[in-house]
This record gives sequence, structure tokens and C-alpha cells, in this order.
Amino acid sequence: MRVVPLGLVLLAWELVTRIGWVNPYVFPPISEIFIRWFTLVANGSMFAPLLDTLWRALLGLGLAILIGVPLGLLMGRVRWAEWFFEPLFSFAFPLPKIALIPLYVNWFGLFSMSKVMLIFTDCLFPIVLFAYHGARGIGQAHVWSAQARGTGPLRMFWRVVLPLSLASIYDGVQVAVVVAVLVAVVTEMVSGGGGLGTMMIRAYRYGDVRTAFAALVTISLVGLVLYHAAQAVRTRLLFWHVSDSQT
Amino acid sequence: MRYGDGSNAVVALESINLAVAEREFVTIVGPSGCGKSTLLYLVGGFLRPSSGEILLQGRPITAPGRDRGVVFQRYSLFPWLTVAGNIAFGLEEQRMPKAQRERVVDEHIRLVHLDGFRDRYPRELSGGMQQRVALAQTLACNPQMLLMDEPFGALDAQTRRILQDEVRRIWLRDTKTVLFVTHDVEEAVALGTRIVVMAARPGRIKEIIDRDFDVADGEEFDANPAFVELKLRIWRSVKAEVEATRA
Amino acid sequence: MSGGSLLAWRTMHGVSRLLPIVLVLLTWQAASMTGWLPASWLPPLTAVAMALGGLVVSGELATNTIASLSRAGAGFGVAVVIGVTLGILMARIRFVQLAVEPILVMIYPVPKPALIPLFMIWLGIGNFSKITVIALACLLPIVVATFNGARSVDAMLLWSAQARGTSERNLLWRVILPAALPQIATGVRTAIAIAIIVLVSSEFISSDSGLGYLIFSYGGVGADDAMLAVVLYLALLGYAFDRLYVNALRRVMAWHAFAH
Repeated sequence: MRVVPLGLVLLAWELVTRIGWVNPYVFPPISEIFIRWFTLVANGSMFAPLLDTLWRALLGLGLAILIGVPLGLLMGRVRWAEWFFEPLFSFAFPLPKIALIPLYVNWFGLFSMSKVMLIFTDCLFPIVLFAYHGARGIGQAHVWSAQARGTGPLRMFWRVVLPLSLASIYDGVQVAVVVAVLVAVVTEMVSGGGGLGTMMIRAYRYGDVRTAFAALVTISLVGLVLYHAAQAVRTRLLFWHVSDSQT
Repeated sequence: MRYGDGSNAVVALESINLAVAEREFVTIVGPSGCGKSTLLYLVGGFLRPSSGEILLQGRPITAPGRDRGVVFQRYSLFPWLTVAGNIAFGLEEQRMPKAQRERVVDEHIRLVHLDGFRDRYPRELSGGMQQRVALAQTLACNPQMLLMDEPFGALDAQTRRILQDEVRRIWLRDTKTVLFVTHDVEEAVALGTRIVVMAARPGRIKEIIDRDFDVADGEEFDANPAFVELKLRIWRSVKAEVEATRA
Repeated sequence: MSGGSLLAWRTMHGVSRLLPIVLVLLTWQAASMTGWLPASWLPPLTAVAMALGGLVVSGELATNTIASLSRAGAGFGVAVVIGVTLGILMARIRFVQLAVEPILVMIYPVPKPALIPLFMIWLGIGNFSKITVIALACLLPIVVATFNGARSVDAMLLWSAQARGTSERNLLWRVILPAALPQIATGVRTAIAIAIIVLVSSEFISSDSGLGYLIFSYGGVGADDAMLAVVLYLALLGYAFDRLYVNALRRVMAWHAFAH
């Protein structure tokens, strides 16, 4: 039943643009957008940009997870790490990392590397934050009972801290997935170099509004699909988690 | 009073015939699920009867109003207002001039023995104190009738006893008509001049008993044989209902 | 804890949190001075500081700050007013909820910066299009937070107010709005962060003024020290605004259990 109101809105869009209340050069009718979208998907033009955006986002995300999770967990369990890193992250958090695009382009060039690095930087924050809080929230009882069984620091990390923080870490990953797609698209819009963002900007530049909207549709779908995929995996992965109900 | 329709209908209350005279302190007691709170909400005007009518001095009740003040078990107080602010709430609605308002507020703070807590917020107060404020808040509006829905149910036994004495003291001083719902038989007998025993499934009035002896202000109930006898009688009546519902 | 020692503790805590940042800055400067960090990679901290000074003196920083803040502020302000109103209407009137919800659902997955070119084509490249995109981006978290906050007001609180004679109209102002305030405040905080992101993005894509514009153009000509000066300044601004907001909130909502 949720579909009906949505359908009505789309219908309204269609009518409004056809009648001419809204400038159809700026807002093409929904039907034409979808036709263009299907055409582009069918003839493969959507494929390469989609792939570009996707692998950049996922690579940046992957790096952020690889470095961010251990860092966050470290911050959560080791005093000096917390003392040192927490203020740094806190201070840098309100800065839109997008402001660093020119800097990263200087360092890494105009193509994929700078984008991936920026995605990495942007995703680092939610991942570190959630891992940090996850590690901090571990009940002391777990740690003590493990220590009583002679668990060394490395094993402690791997077998105790990590599994117990997993739910929180995963929350961070879910947030980061959306961020990754967003940043990928914005960097592509600003510095070019292929991908859905570039495709969209280029289409606007040539006045090809339908293609631009089609690119926008794909961008939105990518974000949606990734988020819900992450959600689906979550229930499988964390079915054992005791405090999963804390959300 | 019927909720829902068709085969899912739940009859909460059936054939309620109750006449309450002015200045009576009527306590309503019964097993859980007998609809005593529902009855109160109907009188308060928060619910509308599916059949039959409720009259206040000959006129039907259709909506909540100042003439029927209410004290709930929880959530009567507005957390964003101080004690003084809460008590003044109804007065501000009446556009009472400030000087007069302050006087009434001070009077009621003194009435419930909360001097010195004027500028505290609800979250800083204990449960017992919060209910005192709720009482003051209601009384400040000078209602014709006072509806109380298990107001002391969430409090510990000692606080409950103290507040019961408070309510009696206030009522003896300034007799209003009171409808007091409780599941505690002792409370019902100690406070009420008339005790209504309800049965469950469907909710209906089982019997109405007038308390034909007086309890003086400050007297110890347990020492009074008439009290003990009445209490036992009512308890047996209620117990029979509790067991009947369990069957 | 007496007032004096609480202040002392807070100051000490603040200083302790500042130390890592100072450490990083010192390391930066040291690395530049010893030659470990080539100037082509990252100009020395002193150069950045001087550039910042230059920008302040020339008035460039002030002018562009005003340009950026007025855009973000206008968009944000509009979003707050419309968002709170819409959220409350949605919570109170079923029809409004049904009408607005699908639009929100549709806009939600679209990354708002991606709408910047669209709005520029539609509304021109001036301030108006930027303000509108910012407003739209901020609208979402505020509407959702207000809607949820207004919906979850305890029925008994409303009943309590009604039994004190509150009219239907006053119910909204005197009960629902204050009760929903904690959640609205959270939504607003998110909106602040979003406003800054969309602002900078829009100034990168097409602008002739503003802090984002400064960063973009200085970066483009290789004037890294000036660019970094503005970046650091922007970071400070963002941090200051967030802190200000949290402190203001703590004061206004002193009554709330988790003085947010």
C-alpha cells in the first residue's frame, strides 16, 4: 500500500511536465527519463560509469574498514590511543572532507586515486567512531573472564574485542556505505575522470537532461541497493549477537 | 464500552450504572482488566462510550476539560517545566494575571509540602514528589471533580502511605468529588467513602459499599476494627473476581 | 564540586584534548623544517599561517565567510521553519503524512549534492539555487526528526494538558512542540553538518564567492598555502558552530534527562 502514494506522485510529475507547468527542459517527464534509463542500460553506456563509481566507492570503503576498525577498537581499549586520536577525529569531524578535493588532486592526480583516497578519508570517520563506541561498550566481565583464562593481548583483540564490537562496527559500515557512494559521485562531479558523477555533469553540459536524470536514478539506486544489501547481510551475520537488540 | 468491531470486538465495560454524589470520595477497585481505568477515562472525556452516556450535572460529557482534573500514574507532568511552571500550566491557559497566578502556585506548593522545590525540574524529583506536583497541578485549576488513576501505583509502600494521608488531609480540608481507581484494597478502603468493586471480563460493577464509619485525620487504620472488617470483606470480594478471571 | 573546581576541571580537560592537535601541528612544522616533508607536498605550517594572516588582512576571508554563511544560513533557516512545520503537520494530519511521505521517500536516496547541477539549470547559477539545494538537503533530517518527535508524544501528556483546560490550538504550542524538542534538536544538528557539506560542494561546482570557492580557486592555481589556510579556517568554523550548538542546547534543554 506504500506504493500507491508513490505512484500518485510520479503520475503527478508526469502530468505537470506534460502540461508545461514545469519547464520540461529542466524536468523531463518521468516516462522519458525511464525510457532513457532503460536505453542506456540496454546499450551498455551505463555500465562503465557504474563500474567506475562502484569500485572506487568499495575500494575506499574497504580501506577505511581495514584501517578504521583496528584503530577504533584500539581507541576503545587503550588509554593513550583514545587520548591521542579522539580529539583529532572530533575536531576534523565537522569539516566537510570534500573541501580536501583540491589537496588530494594535487597529491594523487585527477583520476581514480584521489577519489579513492577521499572516499577512504570520509568513510574513516563513521567507521572509527562506531568501532570506538563498540569497543568501549564491552562489558568488563567479558574481558576479565578472558584474562583469567590467560588470553594474551593479540588473542584478546581477535577473539573477544572484535566479536563483541561487531554489531556497532557493522552500524558504522552501513553508514559508511552511503557516504562512500555520495563522496564518489561528488568527487566525480568536481574533478571528472569517469564514473556516474562525471556522466551526469557531462550530460548537463550538453543539455542532455534526460541522460543526466538517468544517471541520477542509477546513483540513487546504487546507494539504496548497497544499503539494503548491507542490512540483509547484517541479520545473517549477527544473528548470534547478544546485544543486537540495543539498537 | 466496546472496542473494535465484529468478531474482534472487546467489551471493556458493560452495563455500568453509577451515580456519584457531590463531595463523595469514590474508590474503584478490582482485578486487572476489569476496566476501571477505562471507566475513569470515559468520565474524563478521553474516550467516548460506544453506547450509553455519561452525565455531569445533567449534561453529557463529550471532551476532557478543566472541570474534571486528572492525575495519572505517570506522565502527568511536563518535563520541560519547573514545579512552579507545571502548577501554573492550567492557570496560564486561563490567562490569569501574573500576580494572582503566583499566589495560587505558592499556595499549592505549600499545600503539598514542596516548599523549596519551586524551581526544580521533574527529572530532579523523586516519584513521590512528582505525584505531589501532579496533584498540586490538578488542584490549582480548581476542578469540580478529581479523577485519579492509580496515582500511587508506581511508588514504594512507604511513600504510598504518606501520599494517601496527604490526599485524605487535602480532601478533608476542601471536599471535592473524587473518583479514585486503585488495585490496592487497603488504599480503597482507607480513602473512599464509597467503594465500588468491579469484576472483569466483561468489566462491570459487582457491588457498591458505603463506608459507614469515619476515619479521623491521622488515625492509624490498622487499629480500627471496623476498618479491618471492611477491608477483609472487600478483599474477599475482589479475590473472588481475581480467581474467577483465572478460571 | 564547587563552581571553581568544576571550571578548573573543565579547562584542564579542554587543554588535554587540545594537546594531540598541537602535537600534530608541531610535528608538521618540524617535518617541514627538517626537509622530511617537501614543500610541494605540504607547505610548512608557518607558510599556511602567514597566508591565513594575509587573507584576514586583505578582507578576503571576511567577505567570503559572509557569502558562505549567508547562503548556508538562509538555506538552513528555511529548512528549519518549513521542516518543523511540515513534520508537525504530518504527525497531526493523516492526509498530509500520506501526501508528503512518498516525496520524502523518493528524495531520500538521492545524494543531495548530486542535485546541485539540476538546481543551477533550473534556478540559475546565483545564490538562489544554492540556497534552495541547501534548504532541500537540510529539510529531510528535520522533517523526519520532527515527525517522529511529534508522533511519539505520550498520549497521557496530551490528556493531562486537556484536563487542565488546554485548547486544541494551544496543545500544539504548549505540549507537542516542547515534547518533541529533543528529537528535533538532533535532527537540526544533522542538518547543520549537511548544510556545510552541500554548501562547499555547490561552491566547488560553480561559484564566484565563498569559502569553497576560495579553496577551489587557490587549489587550482597551486597556491596550496592559501588553500590550506582556508581549509583549516573552515574546519575551525565547523567545529565552533557544532560546539556552540551543543552548548546552547544544553542550556535550553536543561530539563532533559540526557542534557544533549
